[in-house]
Amino acid sequence: MTQSESQIELLEPPPVGVVVEDKVAGVAGQSPTRLALGRFRKDRLSMIAFVVVAFYVVAAILAPILVKFDVIHPTALNPTLLNVDLGGVPNGAWGGMTWHHLLGLEPRTGTDLLSRLWYGMTFSLTIALTASVVAIVIGTVLGIISGFSGGIVDAVIGRMVDVTLSFPQTLMLLALSATGVALFAKILPGSQSDPLPNAVYEVLLLGLFGWPGIARLIRGQVLSIREREFVDAARLLGASRSRLYFKEILPNLWAPVLVQFTLIMPAYISAEAALGYLGVGIHVPTPTIGNILKDSVNYSQADFGYFFFPALLLAIIVVSFNLLGDGIGDALDPKADR
Amino acid sequence: MANYRKKALAVAVAASMSVALAACGSGSSNSPSASGKGGGTLTYYVRSTYDHNDPQRTYLGVELANWNRMVYRSLVSFPMSSDPAVAAKPVPDLATDTGTSSDNAKTWKFTVKDGVKWQDGKPITCEDFKYGASRVFATDVITGGPNYILTYLDVPLDPKTGLPAYKGPYTTANNDVAAFNKAITCDGNTITYHFKKPWPDFPLAVASLHMMDPYRKDKDQGDKSNYQIFSNGPYELQGAWDKEKGGTFVRNPNYDPATDSTDIRKALPSKIIFDIGKTSEQITDQLIADRGADQGAVTQQSIPSSKFSQITGAVADRSVSVESPFVDYLVPNMKRLTNPVVRQAIAVATDDTGWVAAGGGPKSYKPATDIVNPAVSGYQSDLFPGGGGDPAKAKALLTSAGVKMPYPITYSYPSTPTADTQARALQAGWEKAGFKVTLDGVADSDTYYTNIQEPDQTADLDWAGWGADWPSAITVTAPLFDSRPNLTANSNGQDYGAYKSDAFNALVDQAQASASIADQTKYLQQADQVLAKDVAYIPLDIPIFFMLHGSKVMNYTTDPASSSYPELGAIDVSSSVK
Repeated sequence: MTQSESQIELLEPPPVGVVVEDKVAGVAGQSPTRLALGRFRKDRLSMIAFVVVAFYVVAAILAPILVKFDVIHPTALNPTLLNVDLGGVPNGAWGGMTWHHLLGLEPRTGTDLLSRLWYGMTFSLTIALTASVVAIVIGTVLGIISGFSGGIVDAVIGRMVDVTLSFPQTLMLLALSATGVALFAKILPGSQSDPLPNAVYEVLLLGLFGWPGIARLIRGQVLSIREREFVDAARLLGASRSRLYFKEILPNLWAPVLVQFTLIMPAYISAEAALGYLGVGIHVPTPTIGNILKDSVNYSQADFGYFFFPALLLAIIVVSFNLLGDGIGDALDPKADR
Repeated sequence: MANYRKKALAVAVAASMSVALAACGSGSSNSPSASGKGGGTLTYYVRSTYDHNDPQRTYLGVELANWNRMVYRSLVSFPMSSDPAVAAKPVPDLATDTGTSSDNAKTWKFTVKDGVKWQDGKPITCEDFKYGASRVFATDVITGGPNYILTYLDVPLDPKTGLPAYKGPYTTANNDVAAFNKAITCDGNTITYHFKKPWPDFPLAVASLHMMDPYRKDKDQGDKSNYQIFSNGPYELQGAWDKEKGGTFVRNPNYDPATDSTDIRKALPSKIIFDIGKTSEQITDQLIADRGADQGAVTQQSIPSSKFSQITGAVADRSVSVESPFVDYLVPNMKRLTNPVVRQAIAVATDDTGWVAAGGGPKSYKPATDIVNPAVSGYQSDLFPGGGGDPAKAKALLTSAGVKMPYPITYSYPSTPTADTQARALQAGWEKAGFKVTLDGVADSDTYYTNIQEPDQTADLDWAGWGADWPSAITVTAPLFDSRPNLTANSNGQDYGAYKSDAFNALVDQAQASASIADQTKYLQQADQVLAKDVAYIPLDIPIFFMLHGSKVMNYTTDPASSSYPELGAIDVSSSVK
């Protein structure tokens, strides 16, 4: 949104030599962060989304510990609870839902579905988080360089963005998966079948295709920041390029970076599920939301609960992350009306 | 019967497969709408691509059966019959009789019928048969097919390589063509085979495999002919075969039913379409819906267990369930699992009950305790414990072996939703016994067998499936575990685990030299006991073929000759399905 002229004047720093600190402190006394937090707290929908996301994240972090201490059992078999005549569909309504198995059982093995989903969330979130970090880091660094340098550097990075955006990402992921995974299996320690090569491949490709949008956005921000006086001042004082990038400009970019991060996370969570469904991601038996969905779609008629709960879980987390991202964006930039 | 190989893959996918040659015979069923005329269009659904269509390279049970009924006639063929005794007796096909043997079954003579023609109208000659057999010797080009005649045919061995001195029709360098010309001789329409050792069941091998089929020299382009189908049967390929999609077969105008027998093939549908590439779930959904061309469709894929609850009422009337002639088993990699006690521990800890349950239960699989199918002579019921596994005993074995626990093992298998779940069942059992299991589900099932044949493969255990080529254990344990024809520098052959045992090889030699079937069976059983003691394999299951077909399919049958897949020699489709 463009600022009105009067606002620009207001935001302009005071002329050199005029001391204004006391005056500002007297008027407000609140940092921009505190102001944003206050706005965020007042938005009930965002708070609900935040609580849901926090719950998911904490649960995902706890899952491996709970497995270690035998609280949840993502691999245990319960063949006695299954209906053999129907090919191993759980006995009872909603996929064998009981107090012991709150979301029912997985068909054919009788593994507790809640345990599997819970443990799977750890892998799905780890992949989405790592891929987001890769995309954000590349996008931010290239965006700053591009916006600050201008000229030929800007043009080159701009074309890189264009080229990357024009690649059919999903097709590339599918087409390169065999060679890509084999390559990482050779480079990384461990055997060919380790889930690590698959995970690294997925994270890198998601990240490598995710940065262009962020780079463009950051570049736009940098273009306006670099004209500000404090940047000129730093430059006149002989600050190095890296100091200008990371000490002067970067701190002013946290808001857009944070918003981008919360928006890219849910995109990658659903991307992981889609890729798992297509058979590119981490392989079974490691449970991920994608792996579970891939198996459960075959049971949409035979065992609706098995199909429904993983899909519901995925939908909730993606929606929550998106609402959280919107909420943070609104709180940091209140002028952007909904 | 035939090699399970990819067959088994297909099964694993779906849930089940297989039939017993001699045992369960046919699940002839059906057909609700059998009224009215036949001669419609048959659609045949296949999940994953076929490796080969070349007669000398085909080794999948389902392909061997289908191509015999449609395009590749042999000297003799198995008749369509649900009676195991009748079904196991070859009848004349391209030959005038079932062959005459002399010199203690070391010489076999067949006479080719007059009036049999290729699809271009040229007659099938004795030289075509000879040329077909010669291709098997080109082991660098004609790969993947059965290689029995390399060990039987009277061609001297090259002392340096241990392989036959004749190297096939594609090379001239250092090639003993004269020896081959002596081993197979043509006299007019009469072809004579000379063997090194007695081969009393040679007609069974001819009937079940396509390695002795005729091949036209002017049509041979070596490896490029892999997917070419040059027919001498009732159908011919229209256009080319698409590896990923299949092909359409129409009537062959040069096929004369007078030269054939309706015991072998009736060839009723006017058109047969092979449709490759749908998943078992998709195929099953389409057959349940039963609309349009699917009313005239059959499939080689078993119904996946996730669809069992939908097979009720009228749909259930269109399903047939038979025990297959195959056995699925695990192969320990002898190069990695060198300690026999560790292998024993794996066998003891294997949760076969969980494996069967995860595969869909008794409608999909029957537990197996021997690599030899119960329908095959030489079967023994007490070689492996089977059941749910004994983790405590396995742990004790591992402790006594003095290895560090948890002991890491990797299990490799062709990945499908069902196979993934089954792998987890095995993993749970093994981990209780002190193993640390890595599951390696191979997504590209087309290359699975090629992968596990690599001499330096890194898995500790491989999944595999096999069915007897003909109803004798000599076509099970010998081709799978005799290291001499299998292990070469580039490939483990069918001996996926690189198992090598002089005691076993000696017993195979004794069995092959036996004059009586009883003696042969005795030696083969002893050989199987050696394998069990060494844990050269761990039997898992006998797949059940539980298959669905369309409502306008008439006379749906499966029999031992079709390896319990749909019998294309008998099946018809109502003329209303175009």
